Amino acid sequence: MRNIWAVAINTVKQAVRMKIAAVFIVLLVVLLPAMGFSTTGDGTLKGRLQTFVSYGLSLTSFLLCLLTIVASIYSVTGDIKHRQIYTVLTKPIRRFELLLGKLAGITLLNVVLLALFSAVIYSITIYMPRFVQTSEDELQQVNNEFFTARAGLVPAEPQVADEVDAVYEKLRQSGQLTEVFRGMSPAEIKKRLTKRKKLEKRAAAVGQELVWEFENVKPLDPNQSLFIRFKYDVSVTPPDLQVYGQWFAGDIRPLKYGQPMVTGLYESARKDVIRTFHEIEVPGQVIAQDGYLAVGFFNPPLNRTVVIFPLDEGLEVLYEAGTFTTNYIRAVLLIFLRLVVLAALGVLASTFLSFPVALLVCLVIFFTANFSGFVLESFDYLSENLTSVYRYTLKPLIRLLPQFDKFNPTRYLVGARLVSWSVVAKAAGLMILVKALLAMLLALVIFSRHEIAKITA
Amino acid sequence: MQYAIETISLTKVFSDLWGRAKVFAVNDLNLQIRYNEVFGLLGPNGSGKTTTLKMLLGLLYPTKGRAVVLGGDSTDPKISARIGFMPEESYLYQYLTARETLDFYGRLFALPAKVRRMRIESLLDMVGLRAAANRAVGTFSKGMARRIGLAQALINDPDLLILDEPTTGLDPLGTRQIKDLILQLAKRGKTILLCSHLLADVEDVCDRIAILYGGQIQSEGRVRELLVQTGKTQITTGRLSDRAVERIRQIVEDEHCECMVTSPMEKLESFFIRAVASAEDKAQPTSGVVGTAQISDFLAPPAAEALLDKLVSSAESQTPAQEQTTEQVKAPEPPKAATDERLLRKLTKPIETPPEKPPAETAPVTPTAEPDRDEQTILDQLTGRSESENKNPESDRTKQEESGDA
Repeated sequence: MRNIWAVAINTVKQAVRMKIAAVFIVLLVVLLPAMGFSTTGDGTLKGRLQTFVSYGLSLTSFLLCLLTIVASIYSVTGDIKHRQIYTVLTKPIRRFELLLGKLAGITLLNVVLLALFSAVIYSITIYMPRFVQTSEDELQQVNNEFFTARAGLVPAEPQVADEVDAVYEKLRQSGQLTEVFRGMSPAEIKKRLTKRKKLEKRAAAVGQELVWEFENVKPLDPNQSLFIRFKYDVSVTPPDLQVYGQWFAGDIRPLKYGQPMVTGLYESARKDVIRTFHEIEVPGQVIAQDGYLAVGFFNPPLNRTVVIFPLDEGLEVLYEAGTFTTNYIRAVLLIFLRLVVLAALGVLASTFLSFPVALLVCLVIFFTANFSGFVLESFDYLSENLTSVYRYTLKPLIRLLPQFDKFNPTRYLVGARLVSWSVVAKAAGLMILVKALLAMLLALVIFSRHEIAKITA
Repeated sequence: MQYAIETISLTKVFSDLWGRAKVFAVNDLNLQIRYNEVFGLLGPNGSGKTTTLKMLLGLLYPTKGRAVVLGGDSTDPKISARIGFMPEESYLYQYLTARETLDFYGRLFALPAKVRRMRIESLLDMVGLRAAANRAVGTFSKGMARRIGLAQALINDPDLLILDEPTTGLDPLGTRQIKDLILQLAKRGKTILLCSHLLADVEDVCDRIAILYGGQIQSEGRVRELLVQTGKTQITTGRLSDRAVERIRQIVEDEHCECMVTSPMEKLESFFIRAVASAEDKAQPTSGVVGTAQISDFLAPPAAEALLDKLVSSAESQTPAQEQTTEQVKAPEPPKAATDERLLRKLTKPIETPPEKPPAETAPVTPTAEPDRDEQTILDQLTGRSESENKNPESDRTKQEESGDA
């Protein structure tokens, strides 16, 4: 432990005195405040705040990621290339202690820099409303929709596998399968059928009703409002691009069993523009004691169209589940996790690669990790026609790539979405316990077998 | 455990990319180095000296065979805690200062903060870099970096010191200092393995040597036994008259031998040290290293010896420096070492010692403070022109005797 600490401190000194860190610090010190003044977003205060937080954190994260990659690789390969490692490893220090020390040093540097810059961004964000001329309404909106941390509940995915199988079987027997889905594989056909079935469950014909039930709705303050966020899609576009809707929210379980209602039922009739997001404010009291909530939509006969709620984001229940500050801290933690993974990756690469090659490899992995969703999807798409060889070789490797876009902190903050501890824990488990640990273990194995001294004879 | 270092048919083959053997860097090497021995590994460039050291230290893995260091594996922290290693060049962190460098290595040995600080200051004094202690090592000259390299090898007070080309990049003062240091450390019970191709250095300090070529030992043995020319006799005297020389020649011819009469040449090393010493006398300013022959106290004088030192110094407090030099059993030329050591000390004298030191205060307790006072008298003697002229030829004469082939 003492050895690890000694190496860690030395690594920090290196990064600081070799001015590796200085370059990034200067960049951030110049760019962050400048951005604070220059970002305007869509002109509203909310837009301005969203843009600043998003750009500020993204920039900090990006630069610190680069710093981590460069510093971790340089710190190990530099020692090997300039042979300081000869004098270090002949001291009573185990090789794994040296590597862990390097990792700890880079992590320490990251903790300090990340704390510093996220504090700067936080301060600018918090004080921005005071320096900008705004109306009371705008301030209220910002408080409701930005300086908060709202949990979003989406309805559970309907289970449609059985229905799909039934339809598929029916089509096959009637011989329509090849007719309707010309030249498609069975898997592809089923995929299409599944999507269609799911959409059906999210569509309300005229005079029909849709009910979604949620469990575990636990607002920070029971008296606070909650918001139903929705977007309409339609089968026939109305001339004024608006549809009517009858909404209700509350605990409907007693109704099911013919018992008297415990909590009041909130009801609202409204007319909204299609294909844009809207929010209905609902008093918090409608949530049952045990966190149960049902939301219903009735398609009134005034409409002459089927109303559809798009699959991914058509309907959501939002409620305040935390404060902006704690949410911000958790978002920064997500950035920290990715820095740790990158540091481990850098150390791993530099145990068997020279500086430029290791740098290249890590940068490629870093950029891929930012589009990991896209990469995984495209591989999955390609793999539909590939054999099981792919499934058991390349696929697990691709899954091992860090997935930074999956835990993108700015996306949460911009939407004032709660970064729950479970998200942080999941990210930590995936990134630290699986990926960083694997990288470090591999690095230790390689490094302990490695002959440190170069071939000189 | 009877050898400090033992290699059992140690072999290192460097192979190419396809695993085909390319070079036998070290070939079936069997070395035995006893405790408290100064062992020199000699050989031309590429003869496998450094490769052997690297295998001993676990920086390279042997292709075949085994290396036992201090009764175990040198990568075991318990063993490596007792080893000091100075590589062929000073591979130091350029961004650390001299003091931080030593502190970093001290931490790796888990030295308590107090001991660490004490040793660092002491070592900085010893290698004469106290004035540059807070400068980044990257700004050091090669010689200064070497000195830090040496200091880091000694920070743990090692039982075994492994020195790879210890004198390259050092000026004659530094070379001399390292050689004296090796002798003093040997006197204090350390085992020293040094490898070099500077034969003069090895000859001066080593008990035993092995000459390596093509990764194999070509010749091995005690330096004196290897070098002594039993077929020749050398007599060194003071200045003789021509008549006396003629008579000696006559005697030699009666013995059916031939003889050659010349004035012995002074060694350039001694001459150089003397020249610098006299420049120091004139107090010429320098920005370079301040050399000292003073060994750091912590470098473990055996307990009994420390006690003895103390007793001796309090009994005959006038001559502790004398005592120190005459006790050098392993030194091949005791009288000469005495003179040079004094010269070296004198070089450092004006900077290292406060001008006035009340002798009464230090005399009874601290043996380390003693040489200071003694040096004062030596200094006086040396600065007196006639005195120094008397002394130096004497040392040269003994030197000639030593080399044995005039």
